[in-house]
Amino acid sequence: MPINRRHLLTGMGAGLLATGTPGVFTAHAAQTSGYKALVCLFLFGGMDSHDVILPYDTASYDGFADIRQTLLAEQGASRARDNLLSLNAALPGNNAGRQLALPPEMPRLKQLFDQGNAAVIGNVGPLIEPTTLSDIEADRARLPRRLYSHNDQQSTWMAGAPEGAQFGWGGLFADAMIAAGANLDADFTSITATEASTFLVGRDANPYRISSEGAPEVELLERVGYSRGSPEGDRLFTLLDTYFRGHSQNHAHILQRDLGGVMGQGYQNNQRFSEAFERSSGSFNTQFPRDNLGRQLQSVANTIAIRGELRAARQIFFVGIGGFDTHSGQAQSLPARLATIDAGVASFYSALSELGLQNDVTLFTASDFGRTLAVNGDGTDHGWGGHQIVVGGGVNGGLYGAFPQPELGHEQDAGGGRLIPQVSVEQYASTLGGWFGLNSAELDRAMPQRQNFDLSGLDFLSRGNV
Amino acid sequence: MSYVFRSGFIASCLVLAACSGGGPSDPAPSDPPAPPPPPTSAPISPSFETTSSTARFLAKAGFGARAADINRLTGTEASDWVLDQFNTEPSLITPGMRAYHGGLIADRDQPAAGLVYGLAPTLTWWTNAIHGEDQLRQRVAFALSQILVTSRRDPVLDFHPEAMAYYMDVLNENAFGNYRDLLEDVTYSPAMGVYLTYRGNQKADPETGRMPDENYAREILQLFTVGLVELNPDGTPVVSGGQARELFDNDDITGLARVFTGLNLEYNRDEERSYYDRPMQVYAYNHSEQAKSFLGLTIPANTPAEESIDQALDHIMAHPNVGPFISRQLIQRLVTSNPDVDYVERVSRAFDTGQFTLPNGVRVGDGRKGDMQATISAILFDPDAEPDNALGRNDFGKIREPVLRFIHWARTFEVNARQPELVWDIWDTSSPESLSQGPFLSPSVFNFYRPGYVPPRTEAGDRGMTVPEMQIVNATSTVGYVNFMTYFVTRREGEWGHQEMIDFIGQGYPVDETAAPRAYVAGYETEMALAHAPEDLADHLNALLVEGQMTNTTRQIVIDAVNNIPLDDPNDQDARRYRVEMAVMITMTSTDYLVQR
Repeated sequence: MPINRRHLLTGMGAGLLATGTPGVFTAHAAQTSGYKALVCLFLFGGMDSHDVILPYDTASYDGFADIRQTLLAEQGASRARDNLLSLNAALPGNNAGRQLALPPEMPRLKQLFDQGNAAVIGNVGPLIEPTTLSDIEADRARLPRRLYSHNDQQSTWMAGAPEGAQFGWGGLFADAMIAAGANLDADFTSITATEASTFLVGRDANPYRISSEGAPEVELLERVGYSRGSPEGDRLFTLLDTYFRGHSQNHAHILQRDLGGVMGQGYQNNQRFSEAFERSSGSFNTQFPRDNLGRQLQSVANTIAIRGELRAARQIFFVGIGGFDTHSGQAQSLPARLATIDAGVASFYSALSELGLQNDVTLFTASDFGRTLAVNGDGTDHGWGGHQIVVGGGVNGGLYGAFPQPELGHEQDAGGGRLIPQVSVEQYASTLGGWFGLNSAELDRAMPQRQNFDLSGLDFLSRGNV
Repeated sequence: MSYVFRSGFIASCLVLAACSGGGPSDPAPSDPPAPPPPPTSAPISPSFETTSSTARFLAKAGFGARAADINRLTGTEASDWVLDQFNTEPSLITPGMRAYHGGLIADRDQPAAGLVYGLAPTLTWWTNAIHGEDQLRQRVAFALSQILVTSRRDPVLDFHPEAMAYYMDVLNENAFGNYRDLLEDVTYSPAMGVYLTYRGNQKADPETGRMPDENYAREILQLFTVGLVELNPDGTPVVSGGQARELFDNDDITGLARVFTGLNLEYNRDEERSYYDRPMQVYAYNHSEQAKSFLGLTIPANTPAEESIDQALDHIMAHPNVGPFISRQLIQRLVTSNPDVDYVERVSRAFDTGQFTLPNGVRVGDGRKGDMQATISAILFDPDAEPDNALGRNDFGKIREPVLRFIHWARTFEVNARQPELVWDIWDTSSPESLSQGPFLSPSVFNFYRPGYVPPRTEAGDRGMTVPEMQIVNATSTVGYVNFMTYFVTRREGEWGHQEMIDFIGQGYPVDETAAPRAYVAGYETEMALAHAPEDLADHLNALLVEGQMTNTTRQIVIDAVNNIPLDDPNDQDARRYRVEMAVMITMTSTDYLVQR
């Protein structure tokens, strides 16, 4: 990607966006900061959202407690109704009298929700078309392939198809922004703070990996740098720099070409990222938790803080933590995970507020699947639909989607309380993408099955007419 | 190092430096090739024909060759070596772990000593991999550890290293056995029981609505035996109506989940202890009495646990998918990332028939489906893997796994890998700032990379090639590997904080004061002797590490880099060593090396 340094900073903001496809950004003509970012927080393993978005009204809670009695016995006070953090918001649909709550280990999320800066979207998951149990039993529903399988449902969430899918909707969103000229440096449009994620891969968007320690430097080159000044030392330095940039090879072998390309590109991007970091003055005082998620979110916040130096107006980030495959020991392990999310997300929101960007960055969760409502002793098994959390100043706080009663055997129960989703990933992503600035045609390209669903409503973000 | 050993080493090096030819992109070194040592008998397989082919074969069938191995084996029959490996005593993890637990770490309650206590299996694994003579067995066990995944990442397994050691030895001991027996040992192992949460799994309780845990039932099918979709014998999916046919639905899983109820750790009432290093036992009152139906089999109601497990494993093992599903993954771990369908079919035939005839005419395998000796032999001696067929192709081979590269370095330069506990950097190599991979350290049961990973935005991806190792290649990990290797390649005797590590681990820790400062330090005696002659040094490393596949471009970079490190005084050992370190670094970070062809 050629760099034109004269464009540095000057092209940022709404003025630049207007140079994109006419009409694309009309819904966002009144941008204040000219910057927007989406952050996908992926909860690997399949989060049991039955145990996160809990029933609070007495009737629902009692039904839930009956089905989950063996698990509740282990959970004790942490799931006692009196200790839950009730969400003062009406459920969508005809659900008068019902109330939901967060578990006690998520007080900061509860606060964000109360402030109108968080929303919960109920029963989201992969679908091909709207589906009920009757449809499945009558064999008239087209179903996503390889349901209940971790890797395949991760891939389906991220990229619309089982393992092997090439492009994720995050990457395709990024492609639309690259095509619209939002970022002068396309290499920093899709960014991961963790492992390789299909979610972020586009045809043009190439996920760049960040870490909390900044871009890594090649220590060998640093060492050689000490001997610069002599003719040999200068030559050696230049030789190695050129070598690591990957400009010196022209391989016949496919894997060598591919590997060399990724290595050379990574080295160059690291250098440019480090230079941007050195030039930048933007920062924040918020202390992040020193755990895996805290470090990832901190590195995302660090990257957002240097968005000007990276010449980015639209960025998509990916962070993720594991440990949600709670077949066993759910009472012991899930609360700690939820506390981690609570602390990490709250710090992230705080750092963004310091940067004045809390309205311009939206964080949303995704997970392999929800889990069974039925208990297997001390845990739960693979499910399908699940409830998702969205956080940001731009969020219209509240409850969206659908929250089936915590019962077994209803029209959205595929068996054992595995929820048949009522909000497709495409519907969820359409709201996120519309807010991010994509128009309908761009969203259709990113998610070809989108038009199988009702795309009105679900306005947890302002998204224009898409 | 004894005199005899050293002279043998130098002699082999001279052969190596001159015998690197053979590949299509070879630099064609100016020295005339010296004849290989006289063979003991005329080799039939081309595997050990030249020094390059020997190095190449041993990098697939082990953790990389030492110069002495290459010299000794070139010109001999590789079938004989493989047969010899089948009969070599296994290097086991448990004795090494016990040595730590019994003597070295007296007081587990000291925080750092407790760390080493938990690390003991991993540390022993490094030592065995680098020093063990049972290279093929360990390499196959390492491959199996990436299919039948358990991981020290699990906090319970981290706290019970004896469970990890026992499991690692299950893989070691079954590596040359039968896959069906391996599955059974894995099923009863506490490590897998903990990792996939069926230890303590109870039958359904209609009163409370409790159902059996489905975790192991799902993964033993999806990951360990048959996969998700019906396969042809060549590993390709059976397609009908444009879609691959899925093998099972959730009813199969709930049926099979009943089989894996009632297992738990053996418990000693008198000592009030549970055993993590013995097979799990059946607690019949927790085992499901219901009928268990999956994949077309119904195990009748009231069948006891052992019998149910036996029937279930037999039924799974009889499925035609197992051969192609496991064979393709083993080929990927040992030889090539995207094997041709015919290659998969040939290997799965060996797996299914339990037999294979080695190039020297010896038949291996006992004729039972799942025979590992037959399968491994079929992978290593397949015509596709032979140098003449493989090296001319632009899509054959694999990205060397980062852990394998590091051990390759340690073995090639014959470092003393004792006392790995004093080497902080190998305690956990799984972060992207390190090797992005570590033995038994996978982040989940899905390993560090997936066998079906098709890398996006690459030429290989455009062709639909699976390249699993590409999944851990990114801007952080590529630098992480370079920096990790820089630390070890340039590590010099006494110039590192072993004293700090000793202090950290705890008082009274028995350290060999003369050996400790040399742990994981390469001597490079042979290479330093070539430091004044950059061309010879490059050719030597080409033969030793790159299997004769170093391109002229890389060779020239090595030569230019070495030439720009002044060696004004030929006796300047520091400068000689720096030249060697630079040459090794460039070689081992080059795509010539990183892609094993």
